[in-house]
Amino acid sequence: MHIADGILSNEVCLGAGVLAAGAIGLSLRKLNDTVSLRTVPLTGMMAAVIFAAQMVKFPLAFAPAYGHLLGGVLAAIVVGPWAGCVAMAIVLFLQMALFADGGWLAYGANALNMGVVGSLGGHAIYSIISRRFAGPRGKIAGAVVAAWLSVVAGSALFSVEFALSHRGGEFDLPKLFAVMTTLHSLVGVGEALITGGVVSYLLAVWPDLIDAPSRPPGVIAGLGRVVWTGAVVALAVAAFLAPFASEGADALEQTAERFKFDKFERTPVALVLPDYEVPIPGVDVSTGAWHKLSVALAGVFGTSAVLGISLVLGRVARTRLAARDAEATHAG
Amino acid sequence: MPGDFLDRYSLGNTVCHRLPPTLKIVLAAAVIAGCALLPVAYWPAHGCLACLVFVGLSLAEIPLSYLVHRLALFLPLVLVTALSVPLSRGFAGGWEIAATVVIRSLVAFLAALWLVSTTPFDRLLAAMSRLGMPRLFSALLAFTYRYIYVLFDELARMKTAQRARTFGKRSAWQRWTATTRLVGLLLIRALNRAVRIHGAMVSRGWRGDMRTLD
Repeated sequence: MHIADGILSNEVCLGAGVLAAGAIGLSLRKLNDTVSLRTVPLTGMMAAVIFAAQMVKFPLAFAPAYGHLLGGVLAAIVVGPWAGCVAMAIVLFLQMALFADGGWLAYGANALNMGVVGSLGGHAIYSIISRRFAGPRGKIAGAVVAAWLSVVAGSALFSVEFALSHRGGEFDLPKLFAVMTTLHSLVGVGEALITGGVVSYLLAVWPDLIDAPSRPPGVIAGLGRVVWTGAVVALAVAAFLAPFASEGADALEQTAERFKFDKFERTPVALVLPDYEVPIPGVDVSTGAWHKLSVALAGVFGTSAVLGISLVLGRVARTRLAARDAEATHAG
Repeated sequence: MPGDFLDRYSLGNTVCHRLPPTLKIVLAAAVIAGCALLPVAYWPAHGCLACLVFVGLSLAEIPLSYLVHRLALFLPLVLVTALSVPLSRGFAGGWEIAATVVIRSLVAFLAALWLVSTTPFDRLLAAMSRLGMPRLFSALLAFTYRYIYVLFDELARMKTAQRARTFGKRSAWQRWTATTRLVGLLLIRALNRAVRIHGAMVSRGWRGDMRTLD
């Protein structure tokens, strides 16, 4: 997921860098105003936790491969959006500086896709959902949905950055978008499962750690609405418009054939984009049927998986809490 | 955790290790930016930069096996991304763009690796804050770098304890939930530790900024 140098154009790197620097700078200032002296130990420790937790391998049930946590949403839920954003920026900086994981020029883009979107946007979605449904179930559902959406939104952002870097007709944004969001709607299920599992564990053993989010500050609420709407629109585009876009291309080809516009001839776009340790072999989305099917499947699968995870984890946490309460009354 | 677990070879004593860190940061940044600004398929200049980086790496006496190991993790991702350019043109063109993308990534990756492998992280941080990195950000980086070692030791102890308690064949679901609890418990322990560290820092006169000896 870390973008290396040379993949994105210099202009895109610069733009993403300015955006990321703005978000991180704002978070640092907010942190200094609110928690002041505790900023360094609390945020630094959270960054170290995310760094270590990313190295913990989660076994995948169906494949001899491993998945791992990204952590933006988890950090934001536990220590708040501002500290979460700074912690992710620190983690990504250390990975870049120590492991050469992600390029120096592409740091802004990496921080934006994985840090800012995950913590600020993810926390906004989390607080919207968890304030609507009270109790542990709302918190878990919020964490699960936010984790899934943060991964999908990050991949959508990457495909926009990549398409902006390679204008001049090599890449077809809707198709790139469809491939990236399809792949990451699967990757995101892992992130959602891990984040939801950790949050439900924390709620069971230390419920006070994650208290109900108060009214989010204005900027965050606004950003939340933007991310929420953006994600829904993006998914809608991926799910509904992308198939039509390819149909539109076919129609264009027919027109071109009829009018003998040879210059409209299109070569099929096939992209192979790897992720994490699991290289996914060529997904050819140029043929219409598979394309539509994959996008539709991804939408249906992702949504139902996220709903299912929230329901199951919510029930588990509720029974666990109930058992704990019963034990407490018994002991008392 | 061994002390060189994060930045291996940074404690050597070669010409490159003895250069002032500020100069090394400027050099690496110049190589990375220069390579990014070169036009597509300007091979002589690309070749010169690549040679420069390799000379630097060999002067720093970084073992070839280590480089090969790192490149084996790094190159596949870049190659596949670069190949998507000719692929999207039906292999009719775009090879020059793909080659430029690979060269740029490679030079930038190796230059960054050279910088980290020749400079201990604390000196790198001090030089970066002299070059204008916000003080709070470098204080956070130093703190996180310190406690990554502690948390990795903690994680290793927890894993050993978990293995000692559980044996026999377990289902994928059981392994998954056990790993989730591992992460959750690590988080709780780390946050408790952060509270203790904060108390210790305040009692030693912590005023919100890191003070170093140089």
